[in-house]
Amino acid sequence: MFKTRFRWLIAVLAVFSLFAAACGDDSSDTASTGGGDEPSAPVDGPTIKIGAQDFGESKILGEIYKQALEAKGFTVELVEIGGFRDILLEAFASDEVNFSAEYAASMLEFLNENAGEATGDADETVELLQAQLDDLELTALDPAPAVDTNAFVITDETAADLGYEKLSDLPADGEGLTLGAPADCETNPFCIPGLDRVYGVDLTGGFTPLDAGLVADSLAADAVNIGVLFSTSAKIADEGWVLLEDDQNMLAADNITPVVSNAVAEAYGDDMVALVNQVSAALDTDTLTALNKRFDIDKEDADAIAADFVAGLNL
Amino acid sequence: MGAQGGAPVIAEFWDYVSDADNWWGESGLLFLTWNHLRLAFFATLVATLVALPPAVSLGHRRKGGAVAVGLVNLSRAIPSFAVLVLVVPFSLRYGFGLGFWPTFVPLVLLALPPIFANTYTGLAGVDRSTVEAARAMGMRSREVLRSVEIPAGLPLMITGLRIAATQVVATTTLGALVAYPCLGTPIVRSLQATRDNGELLAGAGLVALLALLTDLGFSLLERRLSPWRRSTADPAPVASIDESGLTPVT
Repeated sequence: MFKTRFRWLIAVLAVFSLFAAACGDDSSDTASTGGGDEPSAPVDGPTIKIGAQDFGESKILGEIYKQALEAKGFTVELVEIGGFRDILLEAFASDEVNFSAEYAASMLEFLNENAGEATGDADETVELLQAQLDDLELTALDPAPAVDTNAFVITDETAADLGYEKLSDLPADGEGLTLGAPADCETNPFCIPGLDRVYGVDLTGGFTPLDAGLVADSLAADAVNIGVLFSTSAKIADEGWVLLEDDQNMLAADNITPVVSNAVAEAYGDDMVALVNQVSAALDTDTLTALNKRFDIDKEDADAIAADFVAGLNL
Repeated sequence: MGAQGGAPVIAEFWDYVSDADNWWGESGLLFLTWNHLRLAFFATLVATLVALPPAVSLGHRRKGGAVAVGLVNLSRAIPSFAVLVLVVPFSLRYGFGLGFWPTFVPLVLLALPPIFANTYTGLAGVDRSTVEAARAMGMRSREVLRSVEIPAGLPLMITGLRIAATQVVATTTLGALVAYPCLGTPIVRSLQATRDNGELLAGAGLVALLALLTDLGFSLLERRLSPWRRSTADPAPVASIDESGLTPVT
C-alpha cells in the first residue's frame, strides 16, 4: 500500500514535530505593543527593541522603559523572549533585541561562567559586568537602586516548627529539607553553590527543580520546605512567609541594570542614556515590590502598572 | 551558548554520553529513561482502559460518530503544556503534590482521543455485509462483536494505540517542569543550569529514540494482526470511510 511505504517518513516527521511542539510552548517570539501614547516628537534612529523575559517583573520593567522612551519620541517595541538568559544574549547578537533590563550580579556571573566575582557593591559589580559586555558589544547603563536577589523563603508554619530565621540557621547536611527553585539554582553562585560556599549548607539532596512560576504554589502546598523566590516578590509579605536573612552576605548586587547594544547607545547618545538613567534612578526596591504586587496579586496588566509609574516621573 | 559551530556540539555530546556516571548515577540517564517510560506506559494504559469500553460499545452500535470527531478535534486544540500548568495548582491543593500526578493528567488527555476515535472507527467501519453474513449464520450481537468486528477492527485499534503511545512518550518530557525526573530533566537542566549541549542532546536524542521505538513496536504489531495487508498490493480496506462517515487517525 502506498501509505505503508511512507509511514516511516511520516513517523519520523511526526515525532520531531511533536518534540518541537512540546519544547516550543514556553518560548514565544511574538512582539507585543502596548497602548502607547502619542510620542512628543519622533526621534530618528533604529527601533529600540526591549527584550522582556517571561516573569512579571521583567514585563513591568520592559513596559516602564518602553513607555518612558516613547514619551520622548523614540520608536520602541517590546519583544518577549522566554525565560533563558542565553536566549536573550542570542537575541542581542542577532539584533532581535537591543535593550533589556538585566540584573547586574546575575548577568555578570552568567557571562563569567559562575566565577563568583560579583560583590555587594552595585557600581563595582556593574564595572566588572561591563568588562564582560565589551566583547558582546553591549553597554550597561547606570544600575537602579532597586535590588532583586534570590530570596530563600519558608512558610510561617515551617518557621514556627523549626525556628529558622536566617540562612546560618539551616543544618549543614540539609537533612529533611527540600529546596524548590528553578533548575539554574544548581549552578547559580547565589543559590545552592553559594549556600555551600558561605554557610556550609548542602541542599543538593532535597533539590526540586521547578518552573519559576510554580515555586510559590509548591511552597504554599508544602511540596517543598524552602522556596527560592525573588526578594521583590509581593507574595512573601502577602502570604506572611518568612524570608531567611542572608546574615553572612552571600547575595550580591543584583541591581536592575539596563543593558543596551553599543549600536543603539551610539545612535542616540546622551539623550537616550540620560533618560534611561533618570528612569532607573526612580526605581527603588520598595517601589518595585509594590509594582510586582499589582501584577502578581492584584492581577493588573503590566502596561497599566508601568503607565502609572511613568506618569509619576515628570519626564 | 549557541555561538559555537556544529563540531563542538558533537564533541560535547560524545563527552557526555561516554561518561558512565551520567548513565548510572542516582539521577542518571538510565534511571530517567526508566522513570520516563514508567509514566508514559501508565498514562497510555489508563487512557486505554478509559477509552476502550465506550468506544467499543458505541462502535458496535455504530452510534456517536460526532462524539469521536469532536474528541479528536478537541485534542488537537489543547496543548499539553497548558493542561500541565492548569493541573499543578489543583494537584498541590488536593495533596497529589508535584511530579508524577500533574504530569500524568495531560498525558492521559493526550492519549484518549486517538485510542477512542480509532477504536470506534475500527468497529463501526467493518463492512456491513460482513456483519449481515455473521448474523445470517446465527451469531448473536455479542458474538458478532467478539468474532467479527473486533478482529476486523483490531489493526485500526492498534494504530490508535500506536499514535497515543508515541505522542505520550514524546510529551512525558514536559514532566521536568514540575519536578518529575524524566528525560526532559537533562534538557531543562542543560538550558538553565549546566549549559552543556551534550546533556541537552542526550536527553532530546533519547526521547526521540524512545518515541521511534514505540512507533516501530506498534507498527510491527499492526502488521502481525493484519496479514492481508502484507500479502496484497491493494487490500480491501477494513474500515471504509464512507461506511462510518469518519476518517480514522493514521
